[in-house]
Amino acid sequence: MTVLREAEKAPGSLVIRRPARPRLARFFNKTLPESLGPRLILILMCALFLLPFWSMATAALKTTQELSTFPPTFFPQSFAWGNFSRAVNYIPFGTFFMNSVYLTFWIALGAAISNPLIAYGFSRINWPGRDVVFGIVMATIFIPFPVLIVALFDIFARLHWIDTFLPMIIPAFFGNPFFIFLMRQFFLGLPNEISEAARIDGANELQTFMYIILPLARPAVAVVVIFAAVAAWGEFLAPLLYLQDESKYPLSIGLQFYRQEHDVSYNLLMAASTLIVIPVVALFLAFQRFFIEGVTVGSVKG
Amino acid sequence: MSLLSRRGWKASLVFASIVLAACGGGGTSTAPPLAGCNSGTTQATFWTSHTPPDSDSLKHIVDAFNKQSTTTCVKLVQVPGSETDIAKLTTAVRSGTGPDVYMLDRFTVAERAAAGVLTDLSAYGASSLASNFVSFAWAEANFKGKPYALPFDTDTRALYYRKDLLQAAGVDISALDPAKGPPTIDMIRTMANKVNHKTGGAYDVVGFIPYINQGWHYTWGFAYGGSFFDAASCKVTPNDPKIVQAFKDMFYDWDKALGVDAVQTFLSSYSPPNQPAQQDPFLQGHLGFVVTGDWVLGQIATYKPDLAYGVTYIPVPHAGDAPATWAGGWSMVIPKGAKNDKGGYEFMKYITGAEGQKVYTKETQHTPTIKSLASDSSLFPGQHQFFINQLPAAHSRPPLPVGAFYWDQLSTAQDAAVRNTADPATALKAAADATNAKLSAFCPLT
Amino acid sequence: MNAAPRFHLTKADRRNLRTAAPFILPWVIGFFAFTLYPIVYSLYLSFNRYSGIGDAQPVGLSNYRHLTSDPLFWKSLWNTLYYTGLAVPIGLVVAIVLALAMNQRVREVAIYRAAIYLPSILPLFALTFIFIVLLNPRFGFVNYLLTLAHGPEINWLGDQRWTKMSVVLLAQLGAGGPALIFLASLRAVPSDLYESAALDGAGALRRFRHITLPLITPVILYDLIYGTILGVQIFTPAYIPVGGTSGGAAYTAGPDNSLLFYVFYLYKNAFQYSDMGYASAMAWVLFVISVVLALAIMRWSKYWVYYEAA
Repeated sequence: MTVLREAEKAPGSLVIRRPARPRLARFFNKTLPESLGPRLILILMCALFLLPFWSMATAALKTTQELSTFPPTFFPQSFAWGNFSRAVNYIPFGTFFMNSVYLTFWIALGAAISNPLIAYGFSRINWPGRDVVFGIVMATIFIPFPVLIVALFDIFARLHWIDTFLPMIIPAFFGNPFFIFLMRQFFLGLPNEISEAARIDGANELQTFMYIILPLARPAVAVVVIFAAVAAWGEFLAPLLYLQDESKYPLSIGLQFYRQEHDVSYNLLMAASTLIVIPVVALFLAFQRFFIEGVTVGSVKG
Repeated sequence: MSLLSRRGWKASLVFASIVLAACGGGGTSTAPPLAGCNSGTTQATFWTSHTPPDSDSLKHIVDAFNKQSTTTCVKLVQVPGSETDIAKLTTAVRSGTGPDVYMLDRFTVAERAAAGVLTDLSAYGASSLASNFVSFAWAEANFKGKPYALPFDTDTRALYYRKDLLQAAGVDISALDPAKGPPTIDMIRTMANKVNHKTGGAYDVVGFIPYINQGWHYTWGFAYGGSFFDAASCKVTPNDPKIVQAFKDMFYDWDKALGVDAVQTFLSSYSPPNQPAQQDPFLQGHLGFVVTGDWVLGQIATYKPDLAYGVTYIPVPHAGDAPATWAGGWSMVIPKGAKNDKGGYEFMKYITGAEGQKVYTKETQHTPTIKSLASDSSLFPGQHQFFINQLPAAHSRPPLPVGAFYWDQLSTAQDAAVRNTADPATALKAAADATNAKLSAFCPLT
Repeated sequence: MNAAPRFHLTKADRRNLRTAAPFILPWVIGFFAFTLYPIVYSLYLSFNRYSGIGDAQPVGLSNYRHLTSDPLFWKSLWNTLYYTGLAVPIGLVVAIVLALAMNQRVREVAIYRAAIYLPSILPLFALTFIFIVLLNPRFGFVNYLLTLAHGPEINWLGDQRWTKMSVVLLAQLGAGGPALIFLASLRAVPSDLYESAALDGAGALRRFRHITLPLITPVILYDLIYGTILGVQIFTPAYIPVGGTSGGAAYTAGPDNSLLFYVFYLYKNAFQYSDMGYASAMAWVLFVISVVLALAIMRWSKYWVYYEAA
């Protein structure tokens, strides 16, 4: 307090005249300039990354007439909110939506359960041949999917799983090499001392996994869940091949209905795409808390 | 051990929920009979990749069929995704989960028949229907002398022109009256060049770009009187001198005259891929002429009904040459292993017959392949009549077991000629060699 | 990294195997049930001529021999490797930059994170339509920015020299995903390391180079491998911008087939030309190339990856 009053007397000083509270002073003198730089950069980045969405959302609001204007206008001249209801009625949107939700939930769950478990076995336990077998895990990704389609379809047909959701859900519970690799890298980055400490305390591997390692890996697991969910939400080829009843189609297939042989219902497609994005954004906002909480490994890493 | 029981618990929980999920998602075998089915009918599934509004018309026909059939009830299933169609069909057919009737691009019938995906229809007496259909359509539906498909709809191509743009540039459009027969390419070139316009060094209006939209290799090859396949030697002949000449005139030289890069920029600016129809450069006044199909009539009616345009024959190299166009379109097939093939055939006969095609033509303004319908002018309002009149003289692409591959080879050669990266003769010879290498495994074809 | 001789398992080895087994069991089951058979089947097919239905005819090595003389095979391979060589490093840099941005201590950072991540969850099908509009040489936003910077007017999708770069740009819209992974690893770096470095007088750039970078190398390796695998298998982003479907037929895959990527060409052979044998041969060639690439990256990684454990 005293310091401020004295500074007030000095002519031409840069200190803000008599701020009401020290916190406010700190905000203007320290926090704002420090965060202004990053803020500007962030805002710029966001503008760039939001551009496609802006384009999509404005196209969704344009009337069919306005779509004729070329080059496309940046801002819709009139807001055709009716496009959203038209888009939703053009195809069985609600049914497709629920199908997508159902698929995404189970696939994300499968990914969350299986991948950390498998990755633990490949990273925190030293067993003979581990790296060779892990090499095989990674090798499987290198076979492009189109080549496996035919044989894979045969297997599912024999199991009578065609025209059900099973061919997409069940494999998610058996690990995905990408996610296994990701979690493994993460686990390898955690120091041996943690596991040692747990072992000395008498925990078996499963307990070490569930109560020590897994909580530390929450950001990575969150990432796996988000990735698996997003991938499932947009999965196109698998549902196309395995589903034969329209009432089971997910939204990713549903979007195809907006395309005709020689044309595309552009504004309806964009309206539908905008709607589709909302649940995924919600999911993301919900899960990104894990990042905010952060991981304080510092105490052990030291 | 506690470890196992803990894990066992979790595993069984997961397993139980999966089983429950499966119960929620399956169960087609015990589905109740479809509404609108007469009692005592067996179900037949019909797959199509068409989307609304075309599929709506198909639904109407299906409903009408179901009403009058005492043996079969058809369930229409939309399986969208055009290129991946055959992936879905192939995998489904090989494991016995395929449909009974499938709507297939007629151009690919020979290919799919050669691959063993389709059922020979002669067993059902399809050969007796041959005379009902336009000849080129029936030819496409056969492979090695056997019918594998029943033709459904078709489409032809013609030259559209903008009356307003041409007249503003001082062109006498009466010369384009179809009654005068097909115009010559030279005449079109002169007219088109009057319309070319640049702003700031870049084109914003181009009179005529022959190779866009439906100006394919086949289009100009046929216009020049070339032949793409020689049945006697079982070889494709894209290096037929007439086709080479067509490539040289309409692709290589034409683009060079306009400026290769300038045209490419124009196309990327005004005609980018997957553009919605209402932004089409012809509708928007950036093109004076364009070779395209009869479906554009409907698009004009929807998006720019007051457009001042005309339609005439695709131009020919010499005055007095016969007009030429080619036709595509769809067909109905029965995939191998269909469970209700007889019911499927009954439906196929109906939808590709006069009754079904009449409804489809009326509702979608596509062109029918049934000869008897071609003379019913009430079905073809306005300019559509011109396209119908072209049918007798329309070509179809040679039905080959390597049809798709041949098309891609021709397109690659076309692209090289357009960009002036290879001379037409060389490019087409390469296409011939590559295709014949693949084709030889299937020869002889008759 | 242990390497116990194969048939000489110590007691400790056996015990470790027993404890690890239940963990990796799901993968093992999935591998035998869903992966092994299709992989072996595709290898078998590569020595046959097969349309997808009916009988397969053995043809020995002729599919592989035919590959060597197929100009489109070489073109698609070149296109894919060129694209991967561009996309992986660029993607890596973009992802790290984004992650650093997402890591800033700004109040409303959650909103910025969501905004940056948003494009990677937009349906790719619709997004490609948008991107085509943005890449329009005369009216598109990207060229507008270029003209402001006195750059050339690039015909992104019409000029064969730039088409792959267009796909690289489109791919960067999805950089939000890898950025999240880097964000997770950035958050795992203990803050006291930064604090002590700052006290020692290290600036932001030095702190990044000597603390952050080494500690995120495991994730960089992951991104390199992941990016390379995705890169060589690229399919959809090329297929949609090019899918001109007039009359049901498509033009070349991009100008001068510059967007004919390997897996797309493979797919065409399998399902458009009904030549599954040839497609399978292509798949195995890709497999060998990918394994070589991955091994090379892994070997190279020994020089710069820093693991805390093992």
